[in-house]
Amino acid sequence: MNDLPRIDLTELDADKKENIRQRREFIRKYVEWLKKTPNSVWSVQQNKLLSRPKPTV
Amino acid sequence: MEFQFKNGRIRFNRDLSELDLFVRKFVDALDSCGIRYVVISGYVPILFGRSRETEDVDVFIESVTAGTFEQLWNRLASDFECINSANASDAFKHYLNEHLALRFAYRGAFIPNMEVKFPKRELDQYTLENRLEVILNGKPLYISNLELQIAFKLYLGSEKDLEDALHLWPLVKGHLDYEKLKRHAGQLNVLERLKDLE
Repeated sequence: MNDLPRIDLTELDADKKENIRQRREFIRKYVEWLKKTPNSVWSVQQNKLLSRPKPTV
Repeated sequence: MEFQFKNGRIRFNRDLSELDLFVRKFVDALDSCGIRYVVISGYVPILFGRSRETEDVDVFIESVTAGTFEQLWNRLASDFECINSANASDAFKHYLNEHLALRFAYRGAFIPNMEVKFPKRELDQYTLENRLEVILNGKPLYISNLELQIAFKLYLGSEKDLEDALHLWPLVKGHLDYEKLKRHAGQLNVLERLKDLE
């Protein structure tokens, strides 16, 4: 089929690795911030993420 | 982040999320029935501030009798329902005793849920017996000891698990028994990943 995009797996793999590297870098920075931030501050921010409404059955 | 790591116990106070309150309510039921437990896996890094959600909270409970389990089932019934079994007898016989997980969610909800198992392997029993007490806002909660938790996350090896280990390590490394962590990592054949973490 000629309506499919060309896929370069080597390029995709490199992008995937770069995304992983950036994610890990973010986590390192986030933990550095956590270490120097009072519990009363970081836990409120975490709460905003964790306390979003969940789907029900 | 402020926490006290003293006498093999971690103590800290922080704002509690709905997930924390959900876990608290469930372990209160376990405590009221005198059932020993250990919370493992994804909730542990979340407890320590990891910025991700989870659908399930994994917990091993000690291998109790059918009678004690029925007592727990009845105690849970006011707030929780079991997603994959309709009654205590079936849940005990066809799930727990077969080392399959039971899932308990708030009534009418599906997630989050507590994924409850009896220990199956020696490693599971070790996890239960060597649990770590966390005093969160004045109330005890038992989690997997962090040396094993980090090594096991490295063993599981998905990107999410490796990120969990990467999150926990810098926060608690000053308080860990590094030789024990290394021994666990050696047993699980993940010494290389431990080196990468450092």
